[in-house]
Amino acid sequence: MSELTFTPVIGIEIHIRLKTDTKIFCACSTDTDAPANTNICPVCMGLPGSLPRLNHNVVEKGMLAGMALHCTVQPRSLFFRKSYFYPDLPKGHQISQCDLPVVADGYIEVHDAEGKLKKIRVNHLHLEEDAAAMHHSASDGRLEGASTSYVDYNRAGMPLGEIVSEPDISSSAEAVEYAMNLQRRVRYAGASDADLDKGMMRFDANVSLKCSDGRWGRKVEVKNMNSFRALERAIEFEIKRQKKILQSGGEVLQETRHWNDAKGVTSASRVKEFYRKFIVEPDLPPLIVNQEWIDRVTAMMPEMPDVRANRYVHDMGLTQEAADILTDDKATADYFEACVKAGANPVRAANWVRTEVLRVLNETQKKISEFRVKPEVLAEIVRRVDDRKLSTTQAKEVFDYMCANDCVLDDVVKKLGITEGGVAGNALAEIISNVIKANPDVLAEIQSGKDTKGKKFKFLQGLVMKESKGQAKPQEVVEALTAALKK
Amino acid sequence: MELYKLDLYEASKGIKDRKFSAQELFESCRERIDSCEGKINAFITRTDNAEPITENPYGIFAGVPTVLKDNLCTNGIRTTAASRILGNWKPPYDATAWKYLREAGAVLMGKVNMDEFAMGNTCGNSAFGPTHNPNDISRIPGGSSGGSAAAVSAGYVPFSLGSDTGGSIRQPASYCGVYGMKPTYGMVSRYGLISYGSSLDQIGPFARTIRDIQLVMSVLAQYDPMDSSCFREKNPDFTHHEDASIKGKRIALVKEFQNFTLDAPIAEAMKKTQKVLEENGAIITEVSLPVVSKYAVACYYALAMSEAHTNLERYDGVRYGYTVNDAAGIKEMFERVRSYGFGSEVKSRIIAGTCLTEPSRCDEYYVAATKVRTLIAQEFIRAFGECDFILQPVTPSLPHKIGEEDEDAMKGYETDLYTLPVNLAGLPGLSFFTGYDDSTKLPVGLQLIGPRWSDSEILNAGMILERHLGSPKIADGGVK
Amino acid sequence: MKLSREEVNDIALESRLLLTEKELDGAVKYINNFLDILDSFKELDLTNVEPFSFAEALECPLREDKVKAFTNTQGIFNESEHVDGSYFKVPRIMED
Ligand SMILES: [Zn+2]
Repeated sequence: MSELTFTPVIGIEIHIRLKTDTKIFCACSTDTDAPANTNICPVCMGLPGSLPRLNHNVVEKGMLAGMALHCTVQPRSLFFRKSYFYPDLPKGHQISQCDLPVVADGYIEVHDAEGKLKKIRVNHLHLEEDAAAMHHSASDGRLEGASTSYVDYNRAGMPLGEIVSEPDISSSAEAVEYAMNLQRRVRYAGASDADLDKGMMRFDANVSLKCSDGRWGRKVEVKNMNSFRALERAIEFEIKRQKKILQSGGEVLQETRHWNDAKGVTSASRVKEFYRKFIVEPDLPPLIVNQEWIDRVTAMMPEMPDVRANRYVHDMGLTQEAADILTDDKATADYFEACVKAGANPVRAANWVRTEVLRVLNETQKKISEFRVKPEVLAEIVRRVDDRKLSTTQAKEVFDYMCANDCVLDDVVKKLGITEGGVAGNALAEIISNVIKANPDVLAEIQSGKDTKGKKFKFLQGLVMKESKGQAKPQEVVEALTAALKK
Repeated sequence: MELYKLDLYEASKGIKDRKFSAQELFESCRERIDSCEGKINAFITRTDNAEPITENPYGIFAGVPTVLKDNLCTNGIRTTAASRILGNWKPPYDATAWKYLREAGAVLMGKVNMDEFAMGNTCGNSAFGPTHNPNDISRIPGGSSGGSAAAVSAGYVPFSLGSDTGGSIRQPASYCGVYGMKPTYGMVSRYGLISYGSSLDQIGPFARTIRDIQLVMSVLAQYDPMDSSCFREKNPDFTHHEDASIKGKRIALVKEFQNFTLDAPIAEAMKKTQKVLEENGAIITEVSLPVVSKYAVACYYALAMSEAHTNLERYDGVRYGYTVNDAAGIKEMFERVRSYGFGSEVKSRIIAGTCLTEPSRCDEYYVAATKVRTLIAQEFIRAFGECDFILQPVTPSLPHKIGEEDEDAMKGYETDLYTLPVNLAGLPGLSFFTGYDDSTKLPVGLQLIGPRWSDSEILNAGMILERHLGSPKIADGGVK
Repeated sequence: MKLSREEVNDIALESRLLLTEKELDGAVKYINNFLDILDSFKELDLTNVEPFSFAEALECPLREDKVKAFTNTQGIFNESEHVDGSYFKVPRIMED
């Protein structure tokens, strides 16, 4: 009997918080740092008599996010009421576009197991309101077995875009790449900050297995993943679990399961999900998006990261790896391009941004917008290195100083005692003479002709560079050292 | 003459001309309420225990008292929708309609009775007991806005507000002998109106003259961005034109309705009214509404209940209203709050709405009903290509005695056939007074409906009818 | 009868309603009666009819994305018996 094989069939639903100042249906602030239950009003508290009012910017951010995923804007969409009883849902139903979304039919590319590009189809993105935040805890602070839940309605009515993929994903790796790529793209479009730590991006996955003997397991919906790692682990867990059932001849139940991140397992949901009733939201007439609006938003769309990376490779001569790193974050790519525009050599500017700028940002936990060294200044530093006005070591010293202090380039050069052009002439001759004197055995070896590979020469050259504090030009050191050794 | 007997126009003019003060009018109305309220039970909450407060002594209403149906939110004043589930809820905001009246100088005497969540047509389905018809206190005032109609009929106040989802203004207006206007859907902001069937609900006025209805409409019918269904292409003109005419207007009877039987006083009134219309130059014609006459009742209830059950999902005892404090879990809390809080009729409608929108039945019933609604709206558009207004009864019979409600609830719904289609198509409808029945002395009302946004034209026609049929008198309110 | 007592009771529970025997009797009658009436829709050809109709070919008005804080949040808090500090407190979700 041949071994059974299983092909995972995975679809992902991703909720992203759309970037707006006010909630989707009322004028309350979306500030996530506000104290509990301060951003509330009759509408988001579901008070009797209150009515929803759709936020223009929510629609626009939804369009931007959709366009970033190659979706098409739908000229007419509708809102529905999706009912379930839960204290986080003030009206007892969620207003959602579930059935007739504002954008549809897109895709995101990921790499399959062989490293080939593969399209994951995006069915649609629809707009909806978030539920309130629930905190579960006992009076003594315990979480397990707590008898009370606390509700914070600040989150109720926050604008969400729910992005639903087709079941085109075949592995947890593809799922994570899909999610990361999606995050990058909606951030580029300015549609969402998609900050996982702030709960601005959340994942649900539909996982089923197709068996080589023709059996097809039922779809299991896994909920409650709040990080890429959780998405990956939950899918892997679910694939393993379902495989085991199918291998033993069992049947996979169609159900909703919750991912428990601490335990690393999924478990059948105890709460019965009542996504049963959809009626049209009678308080919101159809959402109409005309061509003029679509054109305006299309014009707002920035170049997407993959297109940008391609340009860096083909027009600027960067490696694919460098281009991918630079385009991962739009602000970084913008910074890099500003450097190039200010006259820096693209390949060298790319090296600086990748190694130095990102290192400092990482160390200081700052955003590139807050970064002291402006792209024009970095471009100037790169240019001076090219012109040999600064050695690489000097340039890094200048750069590090400027990262930590508010100052202008020329002052820093002066302050650090760097004479542009560096240590040369008599000063260099003196250093070389001292180095030779301090290493008579090395000198002897070189003069006896044993240093065929030039290793000993390189050793002395290094010492000279070090003594000059990097201010000597390497070419001059080589010339002067060669001359001194011939004496 | 006692001041409470004045209509809105006379009262506000009297105050502005300093013939009497707002205080005197207020006290006269309060005395009238005190003398009748024991018999009528129109109020849920009275707010007439203080000095009259008017925000605007120069406004259209300049200190004239009014009452509101208790499904209109009033900031800091108890609002119950006649349900136990709202308990003593005090809304933290005003309904837009009330805000507009307040700003125009109206003084609130209280919040009045209705069928719970506007579900009913007797004003007997209230957690606060039934309201009685001021023309005959053994009879129902109609509903759901029975309290608003009774208050105007009994002379408590010259005008009031109600809401109409399927006839809830027009039917009690007719039963109580006052004018009641259900405006075009989208004409008056619903913000702060506790929803029943959101796509059908509309707020409108009750008064004892057409001129007063016009006055109230001129204040109510303002655009409000808080209601996304409130719509305005141009502002309607509700000015009272004495010289308005219906000469050459085509006024139609519905062909299919003529197969239905009407009680004699109503059939009589239909004839009398046609005669008045013809004498004033109107042309009586006929239109056919086959889908409306056969499917509107089913369509209406399917949509109203589907919307209603979702509108009532919010009553869970967490943030407002009736609640329990010792539930072991959230499900128990919700069940206890809702089971005690809602009355039986409301529960039945919630269950019916839930049932219709279950995934297994949604297409067959709910979605089908939304399609039937499209057909109904189209049928009316076609009909109004052939006529200017439609004249029809409000109900096939006069108000029955309290306690004689039909056991078979669905049979009661059939009597709504004349009012429901208007809401399905979002049309304006005026319930007008035609006179008193000789034998019962009960008022008899009829209905004039028109195409969307024809509200002011309907009122012009109504003014001519009032001139020839006479205005209603203040009912005795059980006090001889 | 389209719906049995049990089915109606299940729907009631879904709507978080516990019915008395009398209420259940009434609801069963009410709903079955109602569904019979709704069967009349089957006489109509609805295949090409637009669903979800609105009163008018209305377009959803859009609100400017500008914060306007509600000033009477205290009025909201005052109405709840479940306020605890700055939170609303409810029994823990413990579904069977
Ligand atoms: Zn709000």
